[in-house]
Amino acid sequence: MEAVLPAPSSPKTPRIDGRRLRSERTKQLIIEAFLALVREDPKLPTAVQIAERAGYSVRSIFERFPDLNALRVAATDYGLAQAAALAPARNVDGSRQTRIESQVETRAQTCERGIALWRVLLNSQDESDELKLRVRRARETTITRLELMYKPELSTLAEPERRDMLIALEALTDIESWARMRELHGLPYDEARAVWTYAIDRLLPPTPAAKP
Amino acid sequence: MTASTVTDLPPDSASPPAKPERIDGRHLRSERTKRLIIEAYMALVRESSPRVPTAAEIAERAGYSVRSIFERFPDLQALRLAATDQAIADARATNAPRDLPADRATRLRAQVEIRGRGCDQWLPMWRVLNSNSADSAELQERIRMTRSLILRRIELVFKPELSTLPDAERSRTVLAIEALTDFESWARMREFFGLSFDEACAAWVRAIDSLLPPTPAGAS
Repeated sequence: MEAVLPAPSSPKTPRIDGRRLRSERTKQLIIEAFLALVREDPKLPTAVQIAERAGYSVRSIFERFPDLNALRVAATDYGLAQAAALAPARNVDGSRQTRIESQVETRAQTCERGIALWRVLLNSQDESDELKLRVRRARETTITRLELMYKPELSTLAEPERRDMLIALEALTDIESWARMRELHGLPYDEARAVWTYAIDRLLPPTPAAKP
Repeated sequence: MTASTVTDLPPDSASPPAKPERIDGRHLRSERTKRLIIEAYMALVRESSPRVPTAAEIAERAGYSVRSIFERFPDLQALRLAATDQAIADARATNAPRDLPADRATRLRAQVEIRGRGCDQWLPMWRVLNSNSADSAELQERIRMTRSLILRRIELVFKPELSTLPDAERSRTVLAIEALTDFESWARMREFFGLSFDEACAAWVRAIDSLLPPTPAGAS
């Protein structure tokens, strides 16, 4: 009997893939609905709100995510991956001024796009070790970027001065620092960038002379 | 109540003579209860921030009934607001600027230590304040007021150096120092980077020293 039966996967594979693709698409739409709601109101949306925005039932959400925390983690991963894709390091070998301006521009755009999700993430991290890990990774990514962009200047510092310099740069260019300039102090985008550019230039040690 | 007290009353007074004292006593006790409820709330916040304590937890810690809380505060939001005002007043009283006429290094060190201690002490309250402010214009106003006080302190302590800068650069420097010395920046140094109090202070001192222009001759 086994010999007569077709191989288990051969004719069925396309149907299974189609279902899976649709399910992945639904998952993606649910994540995007979650992110859109967070951008509109930086509070955790309810399952009903997410379902309504995505155009699915609440049951559809919980068929794909065991609970809202799992959805939050998936949305965070998606948001962080999107942020990384939209913010590649540019002008890494440029002059000091070019590197500062490039890093500030990239970081400012990331902050403008990501503040809503970041706030939800920070407010929810105490309820989830997975979210806490994402916050830590996001900070590490920011620090790695700072190390890359200001490598020539940082290379002139010994520890603990180098560590303290990174801490200062990270604090200065924190996403909430950007948000305060824009929301509390009412600075236009370009003026907020100018604050960071000016301060980073003052913070960094002199750029070493290029090696021949 | 004595006859003389009655005689001394102004003719149009509707109050019996001895009552003001009794009312004052009750008022004082009520104020003391209020204060103890606020202190219980603040102690719980320090232990469980950013989670907001429940009315039952606050009542238990203060040693009163839940009803006692709501007799003095219409709702938990009002209690949160009163506790925030108390925290701001306490912080202003204990973190007054010192060494203002001193040299640059002394002012820098003093400002950083005061701010660091303030952050260690008030970070839990600050986090609860921020995480609950979305629905309260009054709490948002307290956040704004606190940030404004911080900016004014920076301007006061580093006045000699800031006075040498043109307006735009002066404003950029103040904003940069404010970002650098934010509550959450301090928290990251302590929690994320694992720095001791002294190490965290040293990091801030170095950074602020780099941000500030040279101290003008003749200034402290």
